[in-house]
Amino acid sequence: MAFYDGLLEICGFEKIEIDLQRPRMENLFSKINIGPEDMDRVEKRVTRQHDIKLKGVRKLLRAWLLELADLVLAHEEGKRIVYYGYPSIQGPGMAIKAALGENAYVGCPDVVLCHSLGLIFDGLTPILEAAENRGLPPGHGLCSLQQIRNGGLDLGIIPVPDLVTGSSYYCDMGSKADELLHEIYGHPAVYVDGSMDSRWGEYPRYDPKKIVFLGAQLNKLFTKVEDILGAKVTRDCMHEAMNTSRQLFSALGRLTYQMMADPVPISAVVSGMALNLAAASTGISMSEGPDAINILCQEVQQRVDAGIGITVKGAPRVLNFAVPFSDPEITHMMERAGLALAASFVTVPPGKRDPSLCFETLGEELAEAAMRGGAYHSTYGFAKRFAQAANVLKMDGVIWGYQYNCRPLALGSHLFKQVIEEEAGVPTLSLEMDLYESRSYSAEALRTRVEAFAEMLRSKRS
Amino acid sequence: MEELKRLSEHLRNRLVDLIDARQNGKKIIGYTPGGYLPEELVLAAGAIPVCMIRGGDNSAVEFADAYICRWIDPFCRAQIGYAVSGTDPYYKILDLLAVPITDNHIRAIADVLDYNTDLEVFPFGVPHMKEQTTHEYYLNSLVRLRGKLEEVTGNKITDEMLKESIQLCNRERALFRKISMLRKLEGGSITGSEFIALNHASYLADKNYMVEILESVKDTLIEQTVRQQHGPRILLTGSTLAMGDTHLLDLIENAGGSVVIEEFAECIRPYWEDVSIQENPIQALADGYFMKRIPPAWFRPGKERLDFLIRLAREWHVDGVIWYQLLFRESYKTESYYFPDRLQNETGLSMLVVESDYDQDESGQLQTRVETYLHTITGGND
Repeated sequence: MAFYDGLLEICGFEKIEIDLQRPRMENLFSKINIGPEDMDRVEKRVTRQHDIKLKGVRKLLRAWLLELADLVLAHEEGKRIVYYGYPSIQGPGMAIKAALGENAYVGCPDVVLCHSLGLIFDGLTPILEAAENRGLPPGHGLCSLQQIRNGGLDLGIIPVPDLVTGSSYYCDMGSKADELLHEIYGHPAVYVDGSMDSRWGEYPRYDPKKIVFLGAQLNKLFTKVEDILGAKVTRDCMHEAMNTSRQLFSALGRLTYQMMADPVPISAVVSGMALNLAAASTGISMSEGPDAINILCQEVQQRVDAGIGITVKGAPRVLNFAVPFSDPEITHMMERAGLALAASFVTVPPGKRDPSLCFETLGEELAEAAMRGGAYHSTYGFAKRFAQAANVLKMDGVIWGYQYNCRPLALGSHLFKQVIEEEAGVPTLSLEMDLYESRSYSAEALRTRVEAFAEMLRSKRS
Repeated sequence: MEELKRLSEHLRNRLVDLIDARQNGKKIIGYTPGGYLPEELVLAAGAIPVCMIRGGDNSAVEFADAYICRWIDPFCRAQIGYAVSGTDPYYKILDLLAVPITDNHIRAIADVLDYNTDLEVFPFGVPHMKEQTTHEYYLNSLVRLRGKLEEVTGNKITDEMLKESIQLCNRERALFRKISMLRKLEGGSITGSEFIALNHASYLADKNYMVEILESVKDTLIEQTVRQQHGPRILLTGSTLAMGDTHLLDLIENAGGSVVIEEFAECIRPYWEDVSIQENPIQALADGYFMKRIPPAWFRPGKERLDFLIRLAREWHVDGVIWYQLLFRESYKTESYYFPDRLQNETGLSMLVVESDYDQDESGQLQTRVETYLHTITGGND
């Protein structure tokens, strides 16, 4: 029995599986520098912060640990490695994975590190400190997600990829951080460019040239994958990926719907873990995700049927921008303040594609979906989607927890609140925070503002 | 310099002149700096271009706090502060604010001002790489801009008018180039602050008057005997050197340094490349302003600009490089990590990185750092 067996059991691994995974786990724990001395602290953290009475939660924790192992050991296990940026247009990563097959790791390493080394082990600080000495210093509002990727590489926790692709259509930081890592490690970087130059109020309309441009950029990425890794990314790959992911998204849809129950049945920490698995992973999310989420949904349904929840019935229902990736305490603090974090930005999907539209390439198809989603269209498009969701779901309030060091979000620090309150008439808390690491934006630092907001919503409701 | 006095007088009256012109039916087209708005299009539409290049002012930045969080570059926050507070009168006379969307800091100006003011804001895209598809997208941006200018002014922009304005702007660029080349000479007779004042003025002054002034400056400099100059020669580079943000420049010159060449993405007019008058003019503008232009750090990768800096450092025989970035402009921050090693390896020069949030509290620390750097690169023989 190894020091980590207890933790793996808590995280939903069967005993036989632990034995099967042992060589990998030995290697993994050595690389992430977690030893016997950490176990008491980590086990207590997982038990305290996660609803491990639910098998579905344990299965989700297991999925994230397996994803971490796949990421950290990818090079040693002979896989070709492709990293993509977060946030990213949905689809290209999955299509590339389908093209490259099983012998490839395609994922978003920083989000994986947040949900594993952060959420489970509370072990991001050494990684962040490494990045701070490696070109991404503190105090300059540089993206903490990019710091986590940078530090993970610097400490040798994650392998140097064969190819990295940046979300140049959305943020400047991701691409420049990719460029910095290219300067240090020399791996090829493909920048998928775009321009968020829509006029205020234009969403959901757009200049068709934007689709041509972004589509061509996505097609360029697929060509580069073929040139560098020898795998052709086709529409068939995309269809295969969509078929594979259908089960996962169906399970996520069910869970999202269950979160709308009153009282809200589980913590948003859990739904966040499930949703982000789909965003960051193309392997484990597909092989383990549907099962884990379906088990969770069965358990959650029992709670819903029994009227059991984590807040009182009738608690103010809030649309929350996003759940912090690595520090569950912030979400718990919001819930302890009496807020039902019932929905997020993705709860209400964007409208369907106009059936008359027809695109010649896979890139254009994906670009059109990205425009429709709002977030890659414009600040207005993003805020408008929020306002629509708050309206449709009849929310009592919105928490616009903007990532302070993400410029596309920070530039909407005040605008989102203005647009949502004006268009949906729903009180909105603009909360400056760090979704990826919480050294400067801990639960305690945010608590007063959240409690005051909760009090206001309660009195408004009564 | 006599020409600077005349120019200063022209700028003192410029606002009144613009108000008069507007009353007489001329349209005033404001735009954010960055070098991606071809003034030729505005001039060809019979309108007057005005670049919003004022900066360095903490009170405007503070005013913007009510509209945007602090994690956006202070120059861009200052524009929000000026426009919303009405403290920059130029914002009050604009018929259109055109915003080339270069990065998310500039996008913040467009979004916040569109929502919070009555300004008509026209954003258009500037991609971040030089490829065929990005070139086509920028060209499409210029076609959209041309349409918007025709709509605002009611004037048709013809190829002939466009060629005429290209020739005028080429003349201005050529003169800046010539004057800048004269600074290659040891003891060149125009100081860094004089050159920068000329460049800044060109963003506001009447174009024909500006060209006349530059002709005169060039002639004067050619005739003038060189000044004796002993201080270290400095290449000053960075994201934004706004009109009014003179603090760093003053510190360098007061400490005995000479800025002999500068490279900035914003507020220093690019003048290295002319626009062709042989081809389709709108296509020529896209070529000149996008494909030929030395790109800023928010291009990915930023190698072309870094290569250019090495070239400038060599050809202008500089003794050191001062990299001036505004706080939170992440593209410059990331490049400032690895460029010093490259600069050292290829030229033997060191680089000082300084930052500003337009905060007066920075002053003492900045002075110490600049003085120490200049002392260091002269080997302590100052």
